[in-house]
Amino acid sequence: MSTRTISNLLAPSLWVMSTAVAAANWYLQPERRMAWATAIFMLACVTVAFLLVLFGPSEGSSEDQATRQRFRDSLRSGIVFSGLIVLISLGWKLATALGASADPDLWRRATMVVIGGFLVSTGNSIPKKLAPLYSLPYDAGRFQAFMRFAGWTWVLTGLALALTWVALPVQLAESLTLLIIPGAMLVIGAQFVRLRRTRQGAA
Amino acid sequence: MNTVFKALADPTRRRVLQLLRARPLSAGELADHFAVSKPTMSAHFSVLQEAGLIEAQKNGRTILYRLKMSVLEDALLGFAQTLGWKGKPTEGARHPGGSRERRNEAKGFKEEA
Repeated sequence: MSTRTISNLLAPSLWVMSTAVAAANWYLQPERRMAWATAIFMLACVTVAFLLVLFGPSEGSSEDQATRQRFRDSLRSGIVFSGLIVLISLGWKLATALGASADPDLWRRATMVVIGGFLVSTGNSIPKKLAPLYSLPYDAGRFQAFMRFAGWTWVLTGLALALTWVALPVQLAESLTLLIIPGAMLVIGAQFVRLRRTRQGAA
Repeated sequence: MNTVFKALADPTRRRVLQLLRARPLSAGELADHFAVSKPTMSAHFSVLQEAGLIEAQKNGRTILYRLKMSVLEDALLGFAQTLGWKGKPTEGARHPGGSRERRNEAKGFKEEA
């Protein structure tokens, strides 16, 4: 089974599960029915929208279809990770309603690990996002090097974030998160500025 | 993923990927680095394209190849290079001393067909 098939199944399943968990929350907390009804309605709408985008008809030229496929691929990982975050959040509320006295920081840790995973997944695919050579405003070799650098930086950032939230105390992890993500963005930004300068230098 | 492992198992294909790390190159420029026939080189490009590791783009009359590797695939290439994955080496791939035919010629004898 290919990775695409797995994510195609996983993406809507997570949102369907989230809707089910929200319904269970409603059942356990009937006094907050309006809030849960709204949440379920929103989740159902989002699930249907994702299903339409992921499995909707794809007509047009082969170039249009390739563009659409790339858009779907990038959207799919977003759907999976956002679904995981929503599911963790709702699951934690359900666990609390059921009286399971879980570590109050556990859901935050889990959420941050999922976000770290999302960064890894996003960074992994950055070097694969290629613009046509004729439309590149930069030297093709330098642009390729920049994309590789950005991808590696983002992947390592995601791994560092996930490890931080798995292994360190919450307060320290919070402080490090404020260093790790903006730090990575700064490094990538600086590299992009260098890339732009080389173009201006060449012009 | 199987196609990726298959593509990375061959030292010639790994060398092609390494060359493409610097910049996009035409089929001819890439072939200059190897003492193999055009059809063999073309077959290597096909395997790499099938695995989604490189992409071919037409630029005028030439076809330019460029890397299309994810970070994970890039890391796998690094591992393969470091650990020296034993794929079946390509016949005639350039060795430090040149191809087998060239080395034989230098020694003064020709290999029987």
